[in-house]
Amino acid sequence: MKMFSVAHKTVFVVDHCPYMAESSRQQVECDVLTKSRAQGVIPLAPVSKSLWTCAVECSMEYCRILYDVYPLHKLINYIVSDSEFHILNSWRQEDQSTHELMSALAAVGPPNPREDPECCSILHGLVAAVESLSKITELQHERRTSLMDTAERVANRGRIICLTNAKSDTHVRMLEDCIQETILEQNKLAAGSDRLMAIQQCDLILVHIHPQGEDTLVSDRPKKEISPLLTSEIHCVRAGRHLSTKLNILVQQNFDLASTTITNIPMKEEQHANTSANYDVELLHHRDAHLEFFKSGDLHMAGTSTRENGLKETITLKWCTPRTNSIELHYCTGAYRISPTDVNSRPSSCLTNFLLNGNLSSHDPSGKLPVERAKAQLERHTRYWPMIISQTTIFNMQAVVPLANLIVKETLSEEDVLTCQKTVYNLVDMERKNDPLPISTVGSRGKGPKRDEQYRIMWNELETLVKTHAGATDRHQRVLDCIIACRSKPPEEEERKKRGRKREDREDRTEKNGSKDTDDKSWQESERLKGLVDKEEQESEVIKDSPDSPEPLNKKPRLCTEEVQPPERAKGPVSLLTMWSNRITVANSRKHQEFVGRVSSVNNKFELYQQLKDENGMDVHENGKASR
Amino acid sequence: MPTVVLMDVSLSMTRPVSLDGSDEFQRKNLAVHGLNMLFEHMASNYRLEFTSLMAFSSLWELLVPFTRDYNALQEALGNLEDYDKTCVEAALNGVSNVVQQEWAVTDGSLGIGKGSLRHSLQTQKHRGDDKKFPLPFPFPTKLFIMSVANAEELQMTDAMDNLEELLRLSGGDGQIFTMEGPLCMKSVQAMFGRLIDHAYSPFHAVLHCGNLSSDVQVFPRPEPIVMDEEVEPMPRSVNIDLEIVGFIEIADISSPPVISRHLVLPINVNKEVDEVGTGTTDELEEEPSASQMAGKSPNFCVLLHGSLKVEGMVALVQLGPEWYGMLYSQADSKKKSNLMMSLFEPGPEPLPWLGKITHLGPISEAAENPYGEDDSKSPFPLQPSAKRSYAQNVTVWIKASGLQTDVQKILRNARKLPDKTQTFYKELNRLRKAALAFGFWELLKGVADLLERECTLLPDSAHPDAAFQLSHAAQQLKLASTGDSQYAAFDHNIAPMHTDFSS
Repeated sequence: MKMFSVAHKTVFVVDHCPYMAESSRQQVECDVLTKSRAQGVIPLAPVSKSLWTCAVECSMEYCRILYDVYPLHKLINYIVSDSEFHILNSWRQEDQSTHELMSALAAVGPPNPREDPECCSILHGLVAAVESLSKITELQHERRTSLMDTAERVANRGRIICLTNAKSDTHVRMLEDCIQETILEQNKLAAGSDRLMAIQQCDLILVHIHPQGEDTLVSDRPKKEISPLLTSEIHCVRAGRHLSTKLNILVQQNFDLASTTITNIPMKEEQHANTSANYDVELLHHRDAHLEFFKSGDLHMAGTSTRENGLKETITLKWCTPRTNSIELHYCTGAYRISPTDVNSRPSSCLTNFLLNGNLSSHDPSGKLPVERAKAQLERHTRYWPMIISQTTIFNMQAVVPLANLIVKETLSEEDVLTCQKTVYNLVDMERKNDPLPISTVGSRGKGPKRDEQYRIMWNELETLVKTHAGATDRHQRVLDCIIACRSKPPEEEERKKRGRKREDREDRTEKNGSKDTDDKSWQESERLKGLVDKEEQESEVIKDSPDSPEPLNKKPRLCTEEVQPPERAKGPVSLLTMWSNRITVANSRKHQEFVGRVSSVNNKFELYQQLKDENGMDVHENGKASR
Repeated sequence: MPTVVLMDVSLSMTRPVSLDGSDEFQRKNLAVHGLNMLFEHMASNYRLEFTSLMAFSSLWELLVPFTRDYNALQEALGNLEDYDKTCVEAALNGVSNVVQQEWAVTDGSLGIGKGSLRHSLQTQKHRGDDKKFPLPFPFPTKLFIMSVANAEELQMTDAMDNLEELLRLSGGDGQIFTMEGPLCMKSVQAMFGRLIDHAYSPFHAVLHCGNLSSDVQVFPRPEPIVMDEEVEPMPRSVNIDLEIVGFIEIADISSPPVISRHLVLPINVNKEVDEVGTGTTDELEEEPSASQMAGKSPNFCVLLHGSLKVEGMVALVQLGPEWYGMLYSQADSKKKSNLMMSLFEPGPEPLPWLGKITHLGPISEAAENPYGEDDSKSPFPLQPSAKRSYAQNVTVWIKASGLQTDVQKILRNARKLPDKTQTFYKELNRLRKAALAFGFWELLKGVADLLERECTLLPDSAHPDAAFQLSHAAQQLKLASTGDSQYAAFDHNIAPMHTDFSS
C-alpha cells in the first residue's frame, strides 16, 4: 500500500438526524434469569438499539481494528451530521484513538427525535468531510517538507464512509453530485493554501442503514466512477448484526486485511477449573501475512473456510504451545500486527493476555541521539583492541580490568581517576614482587622473555591503551601521567637490582629518542621475544606510535646503560610509592659494584659492540640480531 | 539466486560466423565461449551459488543439474551436440520443471543462448488457450537473453519484438543482451561482460565497528528495493560501508522479520584484485593456499562471529540512511556456523518492540542498568505509546452475548455487596461509559431497573449497605440516561455511596 493511498485518510460521516433515533428493531435480552431465581420475578423487557447506536458501535469497531493493525499513519476523522456538522476529532496522531472518539460521541449523545427533520441533513457532514480531506495531515506535511523539490510526490487521497438512512436512489445521486461539486470548489481553495491540498482521489462508501423488516428504497451498487476524482459505492444494510458484518468486511477491504483463525487453543473452563476445552480465535491482520501460503500454493493445507456470508475467508492454523527458547534466532519473513475480531470474548482475551505478558519500559532521548552515542562508545572501545589473545598482556590480566573498563569512558570522575591510579600502583607493586605476567610463551624458545622484559611489554601496552584516550579529558591525561610516572624503565630496574645508583646520577634523557631506527629495533626485540615474527608489522604499529614509550632497549638490556628512574621527572606530583621505591633503589645501589660500561658511559650511554660497527658500518641493527 | 543456463543447440546455432580472417566459428562456439567466461567468473566470485545447464532444441535436456561444480558445467559445454530447431516454449517448460523439482520454493534466474528464435516464437503467437505458456514462472525469476546476433539482425525480423514479449511475459525483470559489432570472440566476451556486470558482480563492502574493520563480500548480493514507488521511486541500495551501531541480546531482538539474508565473507582485497580477469583453473587450485594465508592474519569478521556466537547476541548494523540490519552467527551444522547479515525493512523503526533504532543507546549511559544488576530483566519489548484494543478492557456489544455478559457481571457483583463494592462500581462505570458513547440511554434505564429489582430481592440477611449502594447506583444511572450534562459526562465515574456501614 502506498504511503498516501486513499487509506491514509478516512472520514466517517454518521447521520445524527432524528430518524436515526428510531429503533433498529433488533432486541437484546440482557436480563438472563437463572432458574433458581426465575420464580416470581418479572424479567426486564428486552432493550433495542437505535439506528444511531448501531451505526456508532459498528464504526467504533471499524476504528478499533484499524488502530490495532495500523497504529500510525492511517487516520480517521469522525464527523456527525444533523442540523449542522460536528467534527469530533482532527487528523492529528494524538486524536487517533477510540477512547477519544467515544468521549466525543458521548458528548454528542443520541439524536434528538424531536428536532425538526427539515433542518437536518447528512449533507452538512459530507461537505465538512470533503473540506477535511483537503486538510494536510502531519505525515503529509512532514513528507512534503522533507522531499523539498519533489514535494508533489505527496499525494492527497481519501475515503468517506457515510453511515446514513437515505431516502431514495435519487437522494443518493444528489449526495454524490454534491460531494463532486464540493471537491472541485475545495481544490480551487487548496491551490492558494499551505495547509490545504487538492484532493486527487476520493472514494465514497455510502452505507444505507434501515431497520429490520423494513423495505429499502435505496439499491446496492458496486464501486463506480462518478468523475476522475470521485468513485462511489452504495451498500444497503439492515441495522444490527448485518451492519457490523458489513463494516468488518469493509475494514478488511479498505486496509488490505485478511483473517486467520487459530484453532484448538486449550483453555481452562470458566466453570470447571479442572477441565479444559479447545477454542478458536479469529484474528485480523495485513493480508501479506498470507503471502507465503499463496506463493507455495499450500493454502489448502493451511485450511481455508468460507463464512456464512460467503464474502470472507479465514485461514485456519492450529495452535501449538510455543516451546522455543528465546535465545535462538529463527528465520522470519514477516511479523504483522493483529486485532482479534471478537476482542472481548473470553478465548480472545485469554490468547492476547498470554501473548502480552511482557515487562515494558519506554525511553525518551534527549540531546545527541542514543545511537550516535553508541557509535561513539564503539569507537572509544576499539581504539586499542588486540585481535589475538596471545598478542596482549594487559587484557589477560585481572589486575588491569578496573583501569581498562574506566579509561574508555567518555568522561571520568575523580573517583574513576583514583581507581585507575590504584590499578597502576598495584601493577608497580606486582612488578616489585616479581609476580609473573600472563605473557604468551607460544613460539618462543625456552621460558620466554625474562620477567623484567615482560613488565616492559606490559607497561608499553598499557601506555598505548591509555594514550589513545588521553586527549579526551584532563582526567584521562592524568591517568596517562600516572602511568608514565610510575612505570618501570626496565634497564634501570635491572640496574637497580644489581647495583646502587644515586638518583642524582640520572641523566636528563627525557627527550624521547624518536629515531625510527631505534624504534624498529625495539620492535624486533619484542617480536623475537614473543616469537611472533609474522605479526611484526602490526605489532610494531601498535607500540611504535607511542611517543612516550620508554627508551627503546638495546638488544642486551642488562648491559646497556640507560637513563635511570624517570618518575620524578614526569609531570605531576610524585607519589608516595615512587618516593619510597627510589629510596630503596638508592639503598640497594650501594650494595654492589658498578659495571664497567656504566662507569665509562657518556651521557649515561655506553655503546656496545663498537668493534662490529667499525667493521660493518652503520648496520648495527642487523648485526645485533645476527650476533644472537 | 541460482542460475539455470538454457543453451540453444538447434541447427541455427551452427551457422558459421562470416569472418574476414582464417578461423571459422559457429555461433555455438561464440555462445560456449561466453558461457565459459560466465562460469569462470562465477567460480571465482559466486562459488556458493548453484547453477544448472540445460540444452534445448525442439526438446530439452538437463545436462548438468544444479551444482557448484563449475568444472562440470564447463565440461558439459564442451560436449554439446547439435539438434534440430529452436523451441523456446518447450525449454521454458523444462526450466519450470527442473526448478520446481530441485528447488521446491526458490528463485531462479535464466540465461538463454539463442540462435534463430524467429520460427518458434511466431508459432507461439498462435498457441491455444488450453496450452498455457510457461511464463511467468511460479517462482521469482530474472530472465536474461544472450543473443548471439546483433541488434540489427534481430530487428530485421520480428525476433527482437518476440524476445521483448518474452521478457514482458516473464514479469519484466531481466534484460536482452545483443552483440555489438561483428560476431566474434571479442564481442561475445563484451556481451557476457555486460551480463556479469549487471547481474553477477559480487557485492563487496567494508564492515566497520568503531576502529575495527574488515573487507567483506555480502552474498548473495543485496538487491536494491523500492519502498514506495510514489513517494520514494528511487530504489534504496545497501551502503558499501556497513557500520555496526551496537549489540543486542538475541532474546530482545527475538527472531525479527527480515527481507533477505546474506552470508558475510571476509575477503582479502589484494587477492581479489589479482583474480579479476584471470580466473583460470590453475589459479583455483592455488586458492587453498591463498585462503590459508588469509586464515593466519587476524580478521575482525572472525572476532565478531566468535563473539556473537559466544555471547548469544546480534550486532545491529546500519545499511544506509534509516536502514538497518543485523549480523549474527547462524549454525550450518553442529560444527560449522557462519556470520550472516539479515536486512530489515527500511525505515527508522523496523522492529516496533525495539522502538526507533536511533533511540537505542549504550547501557553504560543509562542511569540504571535496564537489565538489572543480575541481568534478570529487559527493557524490551517497548510498551507502545497507545495500548491496543486487546490490551485494554474495551467494551464491544456488537454481539448480544457481549452485552449480556457485561450486564450479568454487574448483577453478579450486586448480589455480593458490600464485599464486591469496588468491582461492582468498576463494571457499572464501564457499562455506563460505553452506553453514553453509543447513545444507548435505554440500556442505562434498563440496568437501573434491574438494580432496583435486585434491591427488592435482597434477603433479610443481606448487609444493610447493599440496599443503599444498589439504589444509589440505580439512581445515578437514571440521571445519566437523561443526558443531563451534569450526570452524563463521559469521564465522570459513579462513586460508591458513603454510608455509615461502609467505613
